[in-house]
Amino acid sequence: MASSANAAEPVVAVERLGKRYRRAVALQAVSLTVPRGQLYGLIGPDGAGKSSLLKAVAGVLSYEEGAVRVFGKLIDSERAAEDVKARLGFMPQGLGLNLYGELSIEENVDFFARLRLVPAHEAAPRKERLLAMTRLAPYRERPMKNLSGGMKQKLGLVCTLIHAPELIILDEPTTGVDPVSRRDFWVILAQLIEEHRLTALVSTAYLDEASRFDRLALMHAGRVMAEGEPERLVRDARARIVELQADAAQPGPLEQRFAQIDWRANVARIYVEGDDDDSARRAVLDVVGPATAPHLAVRQPELEDVFVALLRAQDGVAIEPLRGLSAPAPRHASADAEHAIDARELTRSFGAFRAVDAASFGVHYGEIFGLLGANGAGKTTVIKMLTGILPPSSGLGRVAGADMRRAGQAIKERIGYMSQAFSLYTDLTVMENLLLFAGVYGLERRLAQERARWVLALGGLEGHEDRAASSLPMGLRQRLALGCALIHQPRVLFLDEPTSGVDPIGRRRFWAILQELAREQGVAILLTTHYMSEAELCDRLALMFAGRVVADATPAAMKAQLAAEQGQLLDVSTAAPAAALAAMRAAGFPGAVLHGRGIHVMAHDPRDAQERMRAALERAGLPEPLVARRELSMEDVFVHRILALEAAAAARTP
Amino acid sequence: MSRNRTWPRLDGSRARRWLRQVAALMVKEWRQLLRDRALFGFVVFIFTVDIMIAFGAPELDLHRSPVGVIDRDRSAASRDLFYRLRPPYFAASVLPEQEAQLERRLDRGELRAVLTIPHGFERDLVSGRPTDLQLTVDASDSNLSYLLASYVERITAAMAQEWHERRDAASGRDNREPVVLLQPRMRFNPTMREGWFSTISELLGMLTVAGILLPAAALVREKERGTIEQLLVSPLTPLQIVLGKVMAMTAVTLLGTLVAVAGVMHGWLGVPFAGSIPLFFAMVALFAMTAAGLGVTAATFARNSGQVGLVVLLLVMPITMLSGTWNLVEGMPPWLRTAIEVSPLRHFVQIAYGVLLRGADASEVALPAAKMALLGAVFFAAGVSRFRRQFR
Repeated sequence: MASSANAAEPVVAVERLGKRYRRAVALQAVSLTVPRGQLYGLIGPDGAGKSSLLKAVAGVLSYEEGAVRVFGKLIDSERAAEDVKARLGFMPQGLGLNLYGELSIEENVDFFARLRLVPAHEAAPRKERLLAMTRLAPYRERPMKNLSGGMKQKLGLVCTLIHAPELIILDEPTTGVDPVSRRDFWVILAQLIEEHRLTALVSTAYLDEASRFDRLALMHAGRVMAEGEPERLVRDARARIVELQADAAQPGPLEQRFAQIDWRANVARIYVEGDDDDSARRAVLDVVGPATAPHLAVRQPELEDVFVALLRAQDGVAIEPLRGLSAPAPRHASADAEHAIDARELTRSFGAFRAVDAASFGVHYGEIFGLLGANGAGKTTVIKMLTGILPPSSGLGRVAGADMRRAGQAIKERIGYMSQAFSLYTDLTVMENLLLFAGVYGLERRLAQERARWVLALGGLEGHEDRAASSLPMGLRQRLALGCALIHQPRVLFLDEPTSGVDPIGRRRFWAILQELAREQGVAILLTTHYMSEAELCDRLALMFAGRVVADATPAAMKAQLAAEQGQLLDVSTAAPAAALAAMRAAGFPGAVLHGRGIHVMAHDPRDAQERMRAALERAGLPEPLVARRELSMEDVFVHRILALEAAAAARTP
Repeated sequence: MSRNRTWPRLDGSRARRWLRQVAALMVKEWRQLLRDRALFGFVVFIFTVDIMIAFGAPELDLHRSPVGVIDRDRSAASRDLFYRLRPPYFAASVLPEQEAQLERRLDRGELRAVLTIPHGFERDLVSGRPTDLQLTVDASDSNLSYLLASYVERITAAMAQEWHERRDAASGRDNREPVVLLQPRMRFNPTMREGWFSTISELLGMLTVAGILLPAAALVREKERGTIEQLLVSPLTPLQIVLGKVMAMTAVTLLGTLVAVAGVMHGWLGVPFAGSIPLFFAMVALFAMTAAGLGVTAATFARNSGQVGLVVLLLVMPITMLSGTWNLVEGMPPWLRTAIEVSPLRHFVQIAYGVLLRGADASEVALPAAKMALLGAVFFAAGVSRFRRQFR
């Protein structure tokens, strides 16, 4: 990939960029530079201006103020944009939206090659290499519309790369993709950047992906709030996280003193300002008393903590405290005996394909139950069977004590459902949507008004009553969809990827509502999610793989089981993660996986493992790694389990 | 009676609840239609401007048809004939006698016909000998060429009659031959205003389009956006979902018809309204529901708005072509005449012209109305059952 451009020159240079849509300001004095060969990330809530910035750089959006230079060329006209377009690839937001559903994988790639006027003798080998790298080659005949989310995203990447661009611009490429596929995507991207000296500008809504970037910018309300390398951003925050065992924590006094606390399943993570471990420890002990000292640990904040802190400092951004199991779920007297949701050997086939294969689980009232799994594992089909939209091929789904196949109206009144992509009537206003669903559930006018007010208050939608749903930001739209599902006060709630595409702030707010519903009102909640930080907040989880439920336990039990099987989690940070990973796998760590910019390994004997790793990396001529013990996260559990299952499935069908 | 009740208890509160649910859906449909600028604009257009266009559209008649005349006789008789080819039907011009040039003007469409008056035309006419005229007609538009030839024929016949009488008068003889004069009296449309018929035809066509398209589009939109699932998990039955749409859109169609008939046709264009207004609107409602049954069925075959548009087009074309609005049912082969009994418009056409222009009463339209209702019931049942199966 020879390039005439000066290697020192930045690939993208944005200076005081300003863009407005009529009166709405999308971008304001945005400046950033992307050096060659870097993976540059844009992070921020919905409506922060990420897409506008990416489009301006890709030359498909005009702007009023400032300057955008790509490969040193000022993009100020359509003509200038045309000049650099051959050297860049742009993948817009939306899973597979730039692809053609009826065409096969191969036909899609060929189409983009011809569109980009790539000579056939160049396109053919490149296509083979890219398809092999993304492991799409075995499915080349398959029409795009039949691919899973992760595969669509990889195909999108192949089509974006077929003309060998020097710069690729990817707008939220991992939204709606499961953690394993997402990880896969990042590994492939990292490999491409390394092998082809690519430069990539990527936006994401997942804060936990931020640490994968070489450099990143946090955007909010059209501005860049912080920019730099991840490590520097964390350092510059000058803060600490104090982790406190949840049973030792006192929510009331702590929340009065500290503005930013994450309540996780068994630990409270308190954000304390100040660049000093001891003073952070003292600040917390002042509140909870010195006796709790043994239950307390001080850590460096993660990027997500830093971002939330930065956003919190902005006007008009309300951050809800995130509570995990802060209060035990109240058991309803009548509910103890009976499950709110009871799936027994639930099976659904589509032709020869078994989407769901004998899935069994139970959900109590007042419990938040998470259904996890890769794209296409059968989660949505399970929900459709349990809500009565789809009849099961065999097995039984009982909700609120009734068989859903024969569910009458009475049972449907006890169920609330929020489908994927929050299907609302976007041409109706907030209030009209609420009153419509009140009417659909047969509520009388007075009761409907009363409930609508309750939902507006619950969802923080007051003041937006007369806005069209289409004009709402994702976070509000999602809470409106939840409100519509709650207007009849259901006892059982089904939520299918309720937080996909919603920014972290909006997701926190949403979870606060779910927890209130489960804890205070005893609603049974079944949900699916691709955010493993949300899986941590569930009372219980079921992991699905290829239509089967392969694990069903609390998050803590899942972690404990993995720890018992595989040992302690070690986080290995090194300057060259890809090479280090290869060296470690060769040295007898087959379970090593990339995690952020580090590597995660599990070992029963950490000390011995550390020694073996050091030796392996030394032999490979790599610098000495920094190894730290970490608590297992649900992401580790999910990735480990799914990868093991995939490997087993691959071994069965060679 | 009360001991072995087999019917579900029809208590008032449950029925009210059922209706409240349907009403909530209907209000939603109206709001959505009002906010869908393209669809709303289309509905306004077909019930107002489109009807006016149909009224003002050039009628199927000759209007200053350019006819070239080659006068080889250059006599009083040939000039008489030339002046008879005058507006509004004809715009005649005398041409130089170069046949080749003529052909080209016919080819280019500058002339619709060429009339050649041969040498000796007047001499033959005066002496009572039969004489020939040649008319070359551009028959690419077969209707117009047929009209043109027959008008010219009538003109020449009248002229021959007059010249014949003049010759008799001049010679003092009175041997007039018997002549039959037909005196037509036009009922229902005394001045044969084409506009009366064409606006009604257009209205019926547009009623068919709106009646099928509106509920079909409303249903497909729910599928497209995924909101249909939200409705299906609610206690609504498929029948309620379909009824909500059908009734909302029938109301829109009725309102549109009211504007078109009372406002545009009667008020503005002066088309008379002979029959019972309630009867007419009852029939429009029945037709709209029947068409909606087709629309619902069409929607179950489509995945998105684009497809439903095509399916509707596929339905509307044969229904209007085979309805008697644009062509005569009497002229169709017997098998086709039987087949078009399944076109609801076929029955509605009889009702609409009957009530609007002839002032027919309920007993006169009862048979076509019954047939239409039967069709409607079948379409509706098919639509709802397909809809139910699609989501089960």
